[in-house]
Amino acid sequence: MQTQENIIEVSGLTKRYRRSKGGKGFLGLFRRETEIIEGLTDCSFSVNRGEIVGLLGPNGAGKSTTVKLLTGILTADSGDCRVFGLTPWLERRKAAAHLGAVFGQRMQLWWDVPILDSFRLLRDIYAVPEGKWKRRLDELTDALELQNLLQTPIRQMSLGQRMRAELCGSLLHEPELLFLDEPTIGLDAVSKLRLRDFLKRENADRGTTILLTTHDMSDMLALCPRVLVLGRGRLLYDGALDALLRRYDTLHTLRCIFDRETTLSGLPASVRVQREDEAWTLTFAPAEIPVGEVLEKILSSGKVRELTLKEQDSDELVARMYGDMKLA
Amino acid sequence: MRYVINAMRMNLRRAAQYRASFWMQTLAQLVMTFGDLWAMLLLAERFGGMAHWSLHEVMFFFGPMQIAFAITEMINRGFGHITTLIRMGSLDTMLTRPRGIAAQVILSELDPRRIGSVAVGLTALIVATRELGVCWTLPNILLILWGMAGAIALMMGLFMLEAVVCLFSVQSVEIVNVFTYGGRQTCQYPLDLYPQWLRITFTFVIPVGLCLQYPICHILGKSLGGVEARAWVWLSPLAGPFFLGLMWLLWRWGLRHYRSTGS
Repeated sequence: MQTQENIIEVSGLTKRYRRSKGGKGFLGLFRRETEIIEGLTDCSFSVNRGEIVGLLGPNGAGKSTTVKLLTGILTADSGDCRVFGLTPWLERRKAAAHLGAVFGQRMQLWWDVPILDSFRLLRDIYAVPEGKWKRRLDELTDALELQNLLQTPIRQMSLGQRMRAELCGSLLHEPELLFLDEPTIGLDAVSKLRLRDFLKRENADRGTTILLTTHDMSDMLALCPRVLVLGRGRLLYDGALDALLRRYDTLHTLRCIFDRETTLSGLPASVRVQREDEAWTLTFAPAEIPVGEVLEKILSSGKVRELTLKEQDSDELVARMYGDMKLA
Repeated sequence: MRYVINAMRMNLRRAAQYRASFWMQTLAQLVMTFGDLWAMLLLAERFGGMAHWSLHEVMFFFGPMQIAFAITEMINRGFGHITTLIRMGSLDTMLTRPRGIAAQVILSELDPRRIGSVAVGLTALIVATRELGVCWTLPNILLILWGMAGAIALMMGLFMLEAVVCLFSVQSVEIVNVFTYGGRQTCQYPLDLYPQWLRITFTFVIPVGLCLQYPICHILGKSLGGVEARAWVWLSPLAGPFFLGLMWLLWRWGLRHYRSTGS
């Protein structure tokens, strides 16, 4: 039961949206032109029990569409989709009992009552036995540091507290599969780290499978060994995050200032050279040309007054990846 | 079941949080409904009844219709706010939960303030009963309750129809209000006061007449528009649940084609 069981199995999943172009002026009231937008095209993948999988892609890539199809909010046009062996939009209620979902920018708990009341109602919605619910609630309030907030309504909470409360609500019925849509959006650094720790523990201790979308590359690095990259509704990459990052070898930027006017020559074409007043900027991939070689060339060109070496950060890397995949 | 009870309690607690506002709005509802009744009384008084209906007979139509509509509104605030539920993403959340969507929508927002209108309707019914000397035998009580239940089901169906339209346009559609609020306004008077096309509309298209008016005629022992109300009035309120059933199917179809919003 515990090992290598596919709890999500998707093949050829396709979802189109029809959007009206909103005809011009008065005539638009009578005649509407529509265009078809590909929400998701022929998407296939599967997720094993206990995995943490990241959904990556620019806005409008189909991440939300994927999550909404998997949770049964939307109905697919074609393709096969099984979550716990059930088609989510056909057997929505059965599938829903096994899964939890948190949408970062949306409120799922009731806005103006103490969160404990919300949790009680969730207990009834998911028909969790009282004893089990109580134990789980203690566990979660402990881990998420919510003990002092149980009597506070969501509307009086900070963003970080709110997210912790939402997480608690979505995990009370011990779902085997958790969907998180941008869970760290807008959180401060400390809250982010705490949230990641909690999710890692939840995954390790209970084997909860987690599927999350985020724009935050550091979230991905911390949480997801495996990612699915989506772009324009297509699945472009399915595999280890490491391998993907290696493919997009980090670029290094070397910035230097010489003591007096110098010309830099003899560098291979793969090194991009820019000059602004007296400062030189060299961009290159260490895999193609070792850092030492570039340094040697610089040092032999003249007396160096200042030199800094910077590694490209992960956000820039994603931007480059999107650029390569023609998504940006 | 525990879910239903707890959800209702939650709604009351929420109302209790804004206590002053709650009582003021309840009072406002009461005053508004009373205004309706007052207007009717003035008209009937002035002309000595309406057509072949006496003032108190008209009141006997007014009461149950008001009660039925107020109860519908109490239950149906959620469907009335479906646009907000869609925009806020609440409907998406409901779809991720293992419960029926219609039940969740209804229980998300009950409106206890309508109790004010119920009170006015009940008063009208009691006054009319005493003046007309209507005898509340068990069959009569059952018939009026059954009739009101039919009317409530019917109007719930109308609210659902409106909600289905909203699923696609994400905008409230006023046209359906012609039948909901317009229906209440129209059907608090005996239907045979109106031109034929209106009478037909509210008897067969939106069958409020079948649900509530003929049963009332039966209790009063009168005919409506020349039609004698006989034992079949026990069956005619079925039109309400039947209409609701159709709209429920439409609602299910609508959810299948729901497109959700935003990320």
